[in-house]
Amino acid sequence: MAATAPVEGTNVPVDELKPTGPAAAAFLSGALGLLAVGISHWAGEVAPGIKAALQNLGNLWIPGAQGIGPYSGKETVGLVVWLVSWAVLHYALRKKQVDLGAYGIAFLVVIGLATTIIWPPVTHFLLGKG
Amino acid sequence: MTASAPTPGGDGTRRLANSLINEGDRGNLYLIGLGVLAAIGGFLFLISAPMQALLGDSAWAAVSGLHGLAAGVFMIGVTVGGYQAYRLYRGSALNIGEMQIGATVTAVAATITILFGNWIYIAYRATSGPRTYFLENMPAIHEIFFEFKEFMALFTLPIAVSVAFVIWYYGDQLRQRPALRNLVALGLALVFFYFMVTFGLGAAITKLRAV
Repeated sequence: MAATAPVEGTNVPVDELKPTGPAAAAFLSGALGLLAVGISHWAGEVAPGIKAALQNLGNLWIPGAQGIGPYSGKETVGLVVWLVSWAVLHYALRKKQVDLGAYGIAFLVVIGLATTIIWPPVTHFLLGKG
Repeated sequence: MTASAPTPGGDGTRRLANSLINEGDRGNLYLIGLGVLAAIGGFLFLISAPMQALLGDSAWAAVSGLHGLAAGVFMIGVTVGGYQAYRLYRGSALNIGEMQIGATVTAVAATITILFGNWIYIAYRATSGPRTYFLENMPAIHEIFFEFKEFMALFTLPIAVSVAFVIWYYGDQLRQRPALRNLVALGLALVFFYFMVTFGLGAAITKLRAV
């Protein structure tokens, strides 16, 4: 079969079919950034030094960061992890045809974990705050 | 009234054909009429409405209002996106151009809502602001609901951006690739969920104590 023939069931020639890697990279990196937000929130609750460091991180670039406290640093951590991991994953997967189902499940697991550890009753329970 | 050409099918079909001709499609005229009404109404509102009474006395009224306005636009985006998620999952015909525009608007609305949310958060956390009030009178409102809301809001942005990226990057190829369609549908559904949690909690908390 010629390399330019359409893929069965589509009208897209096979050599023009974009691999699924970039889609997987985009979604997974978003989930990793959000997990980083959750972990930084936990770290700030556990260690006052980390809480202060998060505040200082936010102060570096967010106007009025002093007014929103360490939340500014948690946002910063999430943003950096998201964008850096996206760049890395996109470069690694840009030409790869990956199983989107597996990446989709991984995305759901990470998102679910991030949501759960941020739910305050869970946070308080696991940190022993009742 | 112009004379209609004879149509096959007898007298009943001819009457229907004539009535279709005489229905009077005035689509463009309606648009112009709506535009004129909007201009007149907008002008009257701007010159006579006491806007300050609507905003209230708070120094943060404008920022709060813009946060709510951006959230309103965001709500429209995620609602349309939720419907698109259903269509994607069902394998229905897609209008890729509309999806690209909609996904972009939604991602931009998410960004603007979060930016203004950061700004109004300063007022929320200020001494004698709502946070102080809640901690003294109803601690669960801040310690559980607001603490959750402020992070759930952040969840909308990377997912909305990822959805927009995939729709733009793959374009027409979405039509025939179920794996990509389902991933986008998942993302749209999650953006809808996280937005509704954030918006619902924000509205409820603001009802209890506004900045």
